[in-house]
Amino acid sequence: MKISDMISMCFKNLWRRKGRTFLTVIGVIIGCCAIIVMISLGLGMNAAMDAMLANWGDLNAVTIYSGRNMYGDGGSSDQPVLNDDALMSLKAIEHVETAFPKIQVSGEYITLSAGKNDRYKASWMEVYGVDFETLKKMNYEIDKGTFPEGTDTSNAVIFGAEAAYQFRDTKKRDGGYVWKEMLPDGTYRQPWIDPMTDTIKLSVNNTKKQNDDGSYQSGGRGYEHKLTCSAVLMQDPNWETVYSVMIDIGLAKQIINDYNRLNGVKNSKEIEYSQIKLWVDDIDNVDAVQEAVEAMGFSASSMAQMRKEMQGQLMIIQLVLGGLAAISLLVAAIGIANTMIMSIYERTREIGIMKVLGCFISNIRIMFLMEAGMIGLLGGGIGVLISYIISFFMNKFGSGLMSSMLGTDGSTPISIIPLWLVLLALIFSSFIGLISGFYPANRAVKISALEAIKNE
Amino acid sequence: MLPAEFAKAPQAFVYKTVTKATPFLKNDYSFQNMWNSSIGDDIIVYMKKLQTGSVCLPFIEVRGLRKIYRLGSEKVVALNRIDLAIEKGEICCILGTSGSGKSTLLNMLAGLEKPTKGDIIINGVNIAKLNEKKLAKFRQENTGFVFQSYNLLTTLTAVENVAMPLMFKGIPKQKREKAAKKMLKAVGLEKRMKHHPNQMSGGQQQRVGIARAFVAHPNVIFADEPTGNLDTKTTIEVMELMVKMCRKHDLTLILVTHDPEIAVYADRIVHLIDGKIDSDKKNVSVVPVPTDDETTAVVTENKIDLKKE
Ligand SMILES: Nc1ncnc2c1ncn2[C@@H]1O[C@H](COP(=O)(O)OP(=O)(O)O)[C@@H](O)[C@H]1O
Ligand SMILES: [Mg+2]
Repeated sequence: MKISDMISMCFKNLWRRKGRTFLTVIGVIIGCCAIIVMISLGLGMNAAMDAMLANWGDLNAVTIYSGRNMYGDGGSSDQPVLNDDALMSLKAIEHVETAFPKIQVSGEYITLSAGKNDRYKASWMEVYGVDFETLKKMNYEIDKGTFPEGTDTSNAVIFGAEAAYQFRDTKKRDGGYVWKEMLPDGTYRQPWIDPMTDTIKLSVNNTKKQNDDGSYQSGGRGYEHKLTCSAVLMQDPNWETVYSVMIDIGLAKQIINDYNRLNGVKNSKEIEYSQIKLWVDDIDNVDAVQEAVEAMGFSASSMAQMRKEMQGQLMIIQLVLGGLAAISLLVAAIGIANTMIMSIYERTREIGIMKVLGCFISNIRIMFLMEAGMIGLLGGGIGVLISYIISFFMNKFGSGLMSSMLGTDGSTPISIIPLWLVLLALIFSSFIGLISGFYPANRAVKISALEAIKNE
Repeated sequence: MLPAEFAKAPQAFVYKTVTKATPFLKNDYSFQNMWNSSIGDDIIVYMKKLQTGSVCLPFIEVRGLRKIYRLGSEKVVALNRIDLAIEKGEICCILGTSGSGKSTLLNMLAGLEKPTKGDIIINGVNIAKLNEKKLAKFRQENTGFVFQSYNLLTTLTAVENVAMPLMFKGIPKQKREKAAKKMLKAVGLEKRMKHHPNQMSGGQQQRVGIARAFVAHPNVIFADEPTGNLDTKTTIEVMELMVKMCRKHDLTLILVTHDPEIAVYADRIVHLIDGKIDSDKKNVSVVPVPTDDETTAVVTENKIDLKKE
């Protein structure tokens, strides 16, 4: 028997009992909708959670801290040094795309100044030495300017969003600080300096000479660098760069060495990175990378841990919801089996005739399985459509609720139905149909042809 | 060397020779009882004297057939020690009262039921030993059925019903429906092609049944009380149609009936009583049925059409 003939027989038989077929299909639709909607809610929760975590920090990043302060003390003594060798081996970890090392130059070491006669000064500025080339690959967003370009970027500086407010006016008696505040006309108060136009002077502090206000004096000639600001960053969500500036990593090393020389600090140790940030190719690999880093003896942190915990909690909710949905699909499966058994009772004679006329029992089995599978597939198909509608309305009217609960911006939908879920639902519901048709089909093939065609 | 009487016998007759020294005409060998003589352990060879004078094996051969039904502790012997040889092209009537085992015999010949004991050899194949799948294949290729209660599928039209055996054979829809339509035309139902069984009279339904039985150009037609539900006039029509088709194409017909008036269409009448062959006789007064009817040509036409790929 040709497959096409079996399919057409199958449709004929379903159509002939259309009322019953329809009722059975409704059962599958309900079960299928329940499962799809529940899973889509789970996916929505996961997406909302990721959005929320992304607000707190980069999900793809693993950050490694030296664990020591800038004097080389503290931290556990057996933690390896965060030097170039360590950088190389961290970079070599699988799934690591880029490594972004930072050297922190202590606020005590330097003073930034701008304006005529260094009128505007920033002491205790957070200064980081970074590799500008790598920086470009990070997802820092620029507010003004561009990343440092050209062959010599050693005198470039990048300002954090509000780093310019660290400069005070030394002519003012009250300390001369301004901060970002809303003015009556609705604009924000501007800082004293505009980093994009003013030249920034960076001077290494001489800690033996203090100014009247307690700040250190410059080391003088040879200890001063004229910097040009090439970019001001946007405020980053986890406030990492907001009040700091970034300079060339080579310059940072030089400054530290200069400071040590100027102030007679005896420190033969090589300069260590204060922090290395690893970028991982996929969120799902963050955990593995973090483990690898920790196995090397470093202390690392990432959002993956928190994500995992939250996912675990969500999983429980999803399992409960999914379980409820599964029950309705189970009921639908029983409905299919019941419908099929009924129809076999009605068609006993027909099956007998077909057998007598030479129909293979394998064909009879396939026809019955097809019928059951078709009920499942039909239910699944209509279920998918209805789920899309339900999902649409939930997203339209319910997403405000969700975002207020999780503190996201409301752009993540409550319910997400990806293509794989659609395919999965179709396959699964057909499969449920097949399974439910298994027992009835077995009964059908066991019908004795002779008994069936016997004259009443 | 065959006796002289054998050489004079009609074409459709089957002869039994016995090897291993048994005298050929030992037990009063007459044409009437030759089919159920018991031969013991000897090898039996059936032969047909063809017009050309050559011999061949019978088309259907039944040896030592027995069927016992068990109802709880009780045994019902439905058939006992049946030996039978039926020639190709023979119209053989199995006659007997109700409960004599006619249907049981027919069902076993058609491979619908397994014998308790014995062999059924059709066209050289022992169907008592075939598995279910091979039996289905065997039925597809060799048999056609006509039932008392027609046994048409009520949900299908006449054309679809007739085309059904071809569908099981895997013949494409267009081809099989063309063959089915020709068949229906041949049985005089060209105006009923799209009708469902419940829209037709008993006689018309049985014609659809006959069309279905012949559509796949089988070798044997099994008909169990084919006229049991029909009135006298329709009975004659239906019988003539069946006999005509079989005669024209040299098909074997096994006709089960309780009615001696139906038996007259057959070449040979096997009389069953209580599961045993009581007599097995040539029908000396076969009702003549005209076979030169052009409608019968359809079976051969279909055979050629369906073979073409
Ligand atoms: N499935 C069965 N179970 C038990 N006994 C049966 C069965 N089929 C037939 N018989 C018995 O076998 C005998 C022959 O039956 P059957 O071949 O149907 O007779 P007929 O067709 O000649 O009327 C009867 O006695 C009947 O009761
Ligand atoms: Mg009977």
